[in-house]
Amino acid sequence: MLISKNWLADHLDLTGLSNPDFDDILTFAGVEVEGLSEQGVSTDSVVVARIVQTEQHPNADRLSVTQVDAGEGELRQIVCGAKNYRVGDKVPCALPGAELPGGFTIGETLMRKIESRGMLCSEVELGLGTDHSGLMILPPEWEIGKPLHHFVENDTIFEIEITPNRPDLLSHHGMAREVAALTGRELKAVEIPSVELTPAGEALSVEGQETCPFYTAVNIRDVTVSESPDWLKTRLEAIGLRPINNVVDITNFVLHELGQPLHAFDASRVDGGIRVRYAAEGEKFPALDEETYQLTDSDCVISDQSGTPLALGGVMGGELSGVTGSTTDVILESAWFDPPSIRLTARRLNLHSDSSYRFERGVDPQGVLKASALAARLIVELTGGRIEGPTLCAGETPSLTGTVTLDPARLQQLVGGAVSMEEAHQALERLGLTAVGDDQWQVPSHRLDLQRHIDLAEEVVRVAGLDAIPARNLATAAIPSAVDARYDLELDLKKQLAALGFYEAQTIKLIAENQLRDALPLRPLHDGDIIRVSLPLSEDHSVMRPSLAPSLLSTASRNVRQGAKAVRFFEIGRCFRNAGGGKASDLEMDALGILLGGTTRPDFWNSTHNTGSDAFTLKGVIEMILPGTQVQLTPAQPGNFLQAAQVVANGRTIGSFAQLSPSRGRELDLEFPVYLAELDLSRVCDLRGDGSHVVELPQFPGSSRDAAMEAPAELANAEIEKAIRKLNEPLLVSFGCFDVFRDPTGEKLNAARKSVAYSFHYRATDRTLKSEEVDAAHQKVLQHLEKTLPISYR
Amino acid sequence: MKEEIAQIQSDALTAIGAASGEQELDEARIAFLGKKGRLTAASSGMKDLSKEEKPVVGQLLNATRGAITEALEGKRNALQDEADRAALEGLDLTLPGRPLHPGSLHPLTQLGDRAIGILRRLGFALAEGPEIETEFHCFDALNTPPEHPARNEKDTFYFDSGKLLRTHTSTVQIRTMETQPPPVRVIAPGSCYRRDEVDKTHLPVFNQLEGLYVDTDVQVGDLKGALEFFYRAMFGEETEVRFRPHFFPFTEPSFEIDARLRLEGHDPEWIEVAGCGMVDPAVFEEICKSRGDELYHPDKVTGYAFGMGLDRLAMIKWGIKDIRLLIENDARFLTQFA
Repeated sequence: MLISKNWLADHLDLTGLSNPDFDDILTFAGVEVEGLSEQGVSTDSVVVARIVQTEQHPNADRLSVTQVDAGEGELRQIVCGAKNYRVGDKVPCALPGAELPGGFTIGETLMRKIESRGMLCSEVELGLGTDHSGLMILPPEWEIGKPLHHFVENDTIFEIEITPNRPDLLSHHGMAREVAALTGRELKAVEIPSVELTPAGEALSVEGQETCPFYTAVNIRDVTVSESPDWLKTRLEAIGLRPINNVVDITNFVLHELGQPLHAFDASRVDGGIRVRYAAEGEKFPALDEETYQLTDSDCVISDQSGTPLALGGVMGGELSGVTGSTTDVILESAWFDPPSIRLTARRLNLHSDSSYRFERGVDPQGVLKASALAARLIVELTGGRIEGPTLCAGETPSLTGTVTLDPARLQQLVGGAVSMEEAHQALERLGLTAVGDDQWQVPSHRLDLQRHIDLAEEVVRVAGLDAIPARNLATAAIPSAVDARYDLELDLKKQLAALGFYEAQTIKLIAENQLRDALPLRPLHDGDIIRVSLPLSEDHSVMRPSLAPSLLSTASRNVRQGAKAVRFFEIGRCFRNAGGGKASDLEMDALGILLGGTTRPDFWNSTHNTGSDAFTLKGVIEMILPGTQVQLTPAQPGNFLQAAQVVANGRTIGSFAQLSPSRGRELDLEFPVYLAELDLSRVCDLRGDGSHVVELPQFPGSSRDAAMEAPAELANAEIEKAIRKLNEPLLVSFGCFDVFRDPTGEKLNAARKSVAYSFHYRATDRTLKSEEVDAAHQKVLQHLEKTLPISYR
Repeated sequence: MKEEIAQIQSDALTAIGAASGEQELDEARIAFLGKKGRLTAASSGMKDLSKEEKPVVGQLLNATRGAITEALEGKRNALQDEADRAALEGLDLTLPGRPLHPGSLHPLTQLGDRAIGILRRLGFALAEGPEIETEFHCFDALNTPPEHPARNEKDTFYFDSGKLLRTHTSTVQIRTMETQPPPVRVIAPGSCYRRDEVDKTHLPVFNQLEGLYVDTDVQVGDLKGALEFFYRAMFGEETEVRFRPHFFPFTEPSFEIDARLRLEGHDPEWIEVAGCGMVDPAVFEEICKSRGDELYHPDKVTGYAFGMGLDRLAMIKWGIKDIRLLIENDARFLTQFA
């Protein structure tokens, strides 16, 4: 909300209150001053000057060279671009050194090789209006050489954030009331004439009492609608409103003066009196913003007796019912509307006005008549009209404030005894509350937000300020929760992956529909499992990610497009899916995604060490993060991928593995093989655990034996390992494949066969094995393999 | 014989000394100590010696063999040392180092961990809740009226099921109090969602850290103490922290917190870093209804809550000018956090 300092000064004496002071006082009372702007100039260096001579600039068609009299005894030469003046006009002249509202300082310069000693100014350049079409032409009677601020008031406009609980601050009087309370300055009363009130008969009927419990109307005859006087236009323009005509300007002025929205109807447009009613379902309402709105039966309409809608109650006037230059008789509305109803209407129609903004937050019920009386008086004064009859009213002002208890014990607990009850009482009194005995406080009608003890306590703390309350720190031991334990495991995992040369990515959890094809979910996805937001911001962020793979792939793609030759990323984060094709509950589970591809050591001068990443690099990474675990990749349906597998750890599936299809890779500019794994994070954490014990180092040396065997090409390493394990040879402590040879040409080895070599390590815990013992154990292994698998030894 | 042996030793040492490589050295070894070497040949003359001379000459032969072997060993080591040195010749140590795979934790992880570490020191334990939430946990239970603007479909992501994406981590306050009896002292970092278009300072998905402390005597001073401690531990012991009264539906009194921080290229300035306040009694009343007991009755417990934006904190801490850097995962950015 914009507040004019000059306007505010009508309501209290601001002498000695600098702008920074004003900012601080309000901000630390919870009324944040978000910015301020200066209108007009306070400097003595912008003066009234008369243009004595002007001629064409020799080097620029659009410029003139003027000689001006700025009251200095000699003429001043200034280059000027405007054309709207005549010799003899008086204009504002900024002398060298003057600082103008845009923050720039005027100097002496050469403009196209002609000296220019100052600047002749437009309204805009002085922050005095919106007209930038030419120089501001000043009245001829203004004295040459006098600073402009002698004639034109300068102002400061504060931009203030009003929180939704404080609608009482949405006016200059309301803001002044707050500043007065906070500074102890005296609030000036607004002169309001007394009003004679008559319950209306035929002329005013209200059917929508829930939405409009109190409605008043004043008839004003014989008005002359014309331009507003300067003081009124200045007030409105200062806070960014465009003056329209004196009647409309007065309603706007009173809204920003007292916070009560008003509406003035052209009486000739009202057929037989005002009728407040609910809209018919689907009723059309042409509003003064030239849009037509379709209403529902919960919207409150101000209509005439014939039913023609004149205004959407509390929100906006109608297209045809407003006051225009030809209006002679006015009906002035001042009413109170129910906040939730107005909020509903304004929100549904997306129609927000200064009026709805205030009604939906709650205006002071006791201000309805005051605003009406003030506006009526101003209309009479400024338009020459006359009030006909008493103020008509229907319904009663709602009573929304009452007495509230300030519980001393609770207050003292809250502030730790740092604010005395005497200070607390003073704070409430300054805010306009009155003690009515036994910790009971009468709340003024404008403070709708003060309903409970805690609301009063908040006011005390707000006025006392938090500086008054000492900080206290009573930390107690925290028992780690299950979430703590899980967090620590996750962080260790992240650190290990970073140490293995992976960047941790964090991507947006809303992805595009067309990224779903890249998903590598832990379990197959059916269409109903996908969770989509109802109103996405854009197609790019419309689906809750069921998998980390899509975002990891777009991360890889982005990096390669930025010149990366290798991509190694991981992400730990939440994925979302429905459990039963959209019929069951929504599931959230955390996953670990890993992606790698490209050369492992790009751009090294000794390029012989560059190698590409392959499936076994990624498998090796999975083995590294799951130490002591049997990790196996079990081929699965590849779907959109070139190949896919289940990641099986200690016999249990913990995730998926895949190699990106080259065609999809090319779309993503990933011109090298890309490997992905997505693991169930909770299973990974379970397998990592922290309960393992140290294995004692062997006391006695062991011996190794190698064996080379020929096997059918399709016999998987896993089968051989399984067979070895099944034998359960007690002396065999470890084994592994160290060579695989195949010859597709069939020259050195039948193309359908492969040669594989394994190393076996034998050791006993209680003695050094004799060579014969090792040989015997090894033979047992070899014979077992030969017996159970289609292999032969070479 | 003795003279001959002395001559052999002298010749051998000369030959070894003159050897310029492994091969010449080996030739020298064979020439003197080999099967047909001169010393071997000389020792074959032993059989012709008298009984008295035998031990003397034998000793001499052994000593000579020992001396030659030692010389060979010494020379071999010297030659190896020389070769090792020669191998380094021309090595340009100013060439770039081998680029190992850099890896790093995402800045949000690093910042979050630092924040969690500080708050754990104050006795907070971690808590969590779902990101797809009910209106009850996101708004109703947090004293947010049905017509509140935050509930607008323009600001909040809804699902056809009526559920929504949580707009703040304050939902975890409710989740925690529903399931745990007081006292609770928890923090919950996590993702939140608002329908903001992506720009330099907004993302539709962002990260908050929530805090909640409920006990029998929690005061405004406790809130102040905890958050002053937090920001000083985060930004330095000298950091000034101030509390501005504000409004949130679920706390009263409510405050916004500013810390006086020096952003890169700027003078120190007050920067808004968090919202906080004392838990509104209306929230406790909702919890009582939801739990079906009176453990959180506002006559029995008081509490404070706070929420801070982790993305914003990261931007302040590292001078990140565009929030999108935090989700783009550009390796050139991430490597700066290695």
